[in-house]
Parts: sequence; C-alpha cells; structure tokens
Amino acid sequence: MAQESTADKNVPVIELRHVDKHYGDLHVLRDVSLSVARGEVLVVIGPSGSGKSTMCRTINRLETIDSGEILIEGEPLPQEGRELARMRSELGMVFQQFNLFAHKTILENVTLGPREVLGQSKEEAEKYAMELLERVGVASQAHKVPAQLSGGQQQRAAIARSLAMRPKAMMFDEPTSALDPEMINEVLDVMVELARGGMTMVVVTHEMNFARRVADRVVFMADGQIVEEGTPDEFFDHPKTQRARDFLDSIKGH
Amino acid sequence: MSLRSHGAPSVRDALYEAPGPRTRRLIAVGTTVSALLVCALLALVVRQFYVTGQLAPRYWSFFAEWPIWRFLLQGFVGTVEVALTAGAIALVLGLALMLGRTSGVRPLSAVCRVVTDFFRGVPSLLLIYFFFLVVPQYGIRMPAFWMLTLPVALAASGVLAEVFRAGVNAVPKGQVEAAYSIGLSRWKTMRLIVLPQAIRYVIPSLIAQLVVVVKDTTVAYVVSYPDLMQNARVLITNYDALLSMYLVVSVIYILINFAINKASVYVARRTGVKIIR
Repeated sequence: MAQESTADKNVPVIELRHVDKHYGDLHVLRDVSLSVARGEVLVVIGPSGSGKSTMCRTINRLETIDSGEILIEGEPLPQEGRELARMRSELGMVFQQFNLFAHKTILENVTLGPREVLGQSKEEAEKYAMELLERVGVASQAHKVPAQLSGGQQQRAAIARSLAMRPKAMMFDEPTSALDPEMINEVLDVMVELARGGMTMVVVTHEMNFARRVADRVVFMADGQIVEEGTPDEFFDHPKTQRARDFLDSIKGH
Repeated sequence: MSLRSHGAPSVRDALYEAPGPRTRRLIAVGTTVSALLVCALLALVVRQFYVTGQLAPRYWSFFAEWPIWRFLLQGFVGTVEVALTAGAIALVLGLALMLGRTSGVRPLSAVCRVVTDFFRGVPSLLLIYFFFLVVPQYGIRMPAFWMLTLPVALAASGVLAEVFRAGVNAVPKGQVEAAYSIGLSRWKTMRLIVLPQAIRYVIPSLIAQLVVVVKDTTVAYVVSYPDLMQNARVLITNYDALLSMYLVVSVIYILINFAINKASVYVARRTGVKIIR
C-alpha cells in the first residue's frame, strides 16, 4: 500500500487501523484504515459529510474514536495528559477557520508553542518565527493581530504557527474552504512549497488541481468509508468505482 | 433626534431598521408628549413637597455646614472601601470557583457548582446575618468591616463565577483546538488562550456587578459599619430630616454607580477593540 517512491522508512508516520466512529446513530467513520509514509502527501477528497474532516481530526485526537487504532510512527496515539500533548506538539494542524489566537499578535501566535511547549527562549523562538513568516510571506504583518489580516494571510500565518513546532507531519483540514477565491492560491502555493520540501502531509481539500499536482496519493471517502485510493492520475483519469465517477462528474467545471 | 451617520454601529442599529418619515414624525410626537408628562410629574412632586412642608429650611439648611458633608464623606469612603475590597475578593473567588467548576475533575467541579449556586441563590442580607449573629457564637470575632465585606463578597463571587463561565463559553472552540494542537496543556490553554479572551468579553458585566456590590453594602447598618447609608441614618436621627437626607444620599449613590458604568464603557472600549472579529 505504501508508496515505493517516497517511503524511505518502513514505519508509516501516521497509520489508522480499522477506525470506527459514531455520532449517535450516525456512523461517521467505517472501518477506516490508512497509512501515510514519511514525506508522502496524501490528499483526502470526497463529498461533504463523508467523514474526511473527522478522520483528519482523529489523528491528533481532536475527535475521539470508538474502536480501532491510530499509530504515530508506530506508537499508539496517547489518550490523554502530557503524552497526548507532546504527540500533538509533533503533529501540525491547520484548520478551515485558521483559529489564530485572536488576542495575540501574529508573531506571538507563532512563538507561543515553541516558548510554552518546547521551552525555547524568546529570542530563539522569534528568530525562527520571523524566518517562517518570511517564508509564508506575512513577515510584514508580524505585529498585527489576526483580525487585521486577510483570510489568506491568516491561514499562511497559521501554517507558520504549526511549522514553528517542527512537526513530523502536517494535517490540513480544508485549509482553503473559508477563503475568498482570490486568496486560495496564496495558501496553496505555501502548501506546494511545503510538499516539495518533503513534509509529510494529510490534506483534506476540495481543490482538485492541487490534488492532481501535489498529491502522491489520493484517498476518496464517501459515507464514512474509504471508497478508493490511488495516484492522482489513476484516480482522476480512471476512477475505479461508480461513486468516485459520480463525484468527479458532479464537481466538473462549467 | 440625531441619526448616527458614522462611527461604531450600536446595538440599536443592529436591532432596528432606520425609521422612515412617518415613524420619525411618530417618534417626535412621542418624545414631546413624554417629556411634557415627566415635567408635569416633577412639578407635582415639588408641589407636594412644598405643601407638606418638606422644602422648609430646617430640612435643608444643615447641608450648608461642612461637618455634615465631612461626616457623609467619611461614610462615602467607608462604602468605597467595602465595595472595592468585596469586589476584589469576589473577583478572585469567582474566578477560582469557575476554574474549579470547569476543571473536569468531577468532585471538585461538583463542590464548586454547589458553592456557586449557594452564594448566588442566598440573599446577601442573610449571609450578613450569618456573619453577624452565627459566626461570633463560634468564638470568631471579626471587625464590623469584615462582617460586612465578606458576605457581600461571597454573594458576588457566586454571580461572578457564572459571569466568568459565560465568558469562557463564549470563546470559540477553535481557539482551544488550536491551542491543544500545538501541544499546550489543558491548564496552559485556559490560562494563556481562553481566560484572556473570556475576561475581555465579560469586563462590562464584571463592572456592572460592582454596582450590585455597592448597593449591597447599604445593609451595613446591620453590623453598625459606618458606610454612607449608616452615616446618613445617623444624621437623619439628629436632624429629623428623613426625606432631604435620603434624596441627597440617593443622588450620591447614583453618581457612584454612574461613574462605575462610565468606567465600564471606557474599559470595554479600550480592551475590546483588539479582538473584534
């Protein structure tokens, strides 16, 4: 299942085994098994309500699971306390709504984790933070609060905040879905650059061009299940299942 | 009536659409009529005072004497001391109760919940009687200041705990998720991310609660603590001037609480701006 080209180590960075989850009567994740190799970019697509966001959020336990296993570099995801906090600090998470800390400046947003969790000094944290903000192109906004930034700038700052923790992998939960159309590309560009830099990524998105261009592997989910997976070319050009063909037809541009 | 053309949108702007010409006429008529009614009522009150002799110089002349004002001022200082001390204690205690209640530790959370509901539900006068009549029976002697301040503070802490909780609940869930996902612990998330935002949300309510605290202190006479109200009562007995004294004292209380409200608007404006989404 693992991609030969990118898996240079045998242990997957992220692995889900037979994960099940219910919201009351709703079966949101059905026997989901998935593994992400080091350096791999996995793009998860599917209709809304298919469980792709939920799946993404279970990886750092923002959502709990009913049964199954989640392994990070072969270790089971801790259930609580300091171990869980440490594991979360090693996994980056980018949200649809950015979720920058509203009462802190952009620079403070990026340095908070390194200072409070990794115990870095202010100077050390700020130096790296400014490097990252430079990289995502919002260094000039460092001393503003999130509300003063555009959505695209906020999302890029949020990516920098995650990167500041030097994560093993990054999860993106529909990172461009809350953005105005003209801001989507500036965020995707940052993500493309990250992918080229070898970051292990799980990206839940509706951006098909991004998926085609950047993904090592595409996973198609519907009704809480993984229906199909393959390389972007296989999936987009020769979908194997009717469900995937219907989905691809429905999102075809006008 | 002036229509606001620029500046921050007010609650009124959000709740009502701008009036049209007919509504504007109606508002003008209503304003005039009610103003006339209020004037008539005031005139009636003054006349009634005159008829019953309440405007006689003997009820008012002593306000020209400095010692009277000094005595009232001492009471004012007493009121402010109790209100500020009680307010400060209530803030700390209210915050602690809220943190306990939301801690996720079941027994602690249950205890804090009961304590919060108890202090919120019991009238402060009852708490004062408790400190005045019951506590001394167990050999604990405390000065009148504390017999007044502690119960007022306890009563307010219950309310403030709920105010804080409302603020914490108002902080968007995404803020907490983002904090967790960079590896912050539960407590650090509360302290660094949630509380600073929650407190900004509730500053106006916190200060409004100080108004209640000020009003609660007026039962100081129970423990013979010389606050504004108690000193006014002493003067009333001396000069047999019930109405004039109460009028002057209520004006002073209104001014105190007006000042508190002004302060709340000022603080809210200064701290609120930063996080408006």
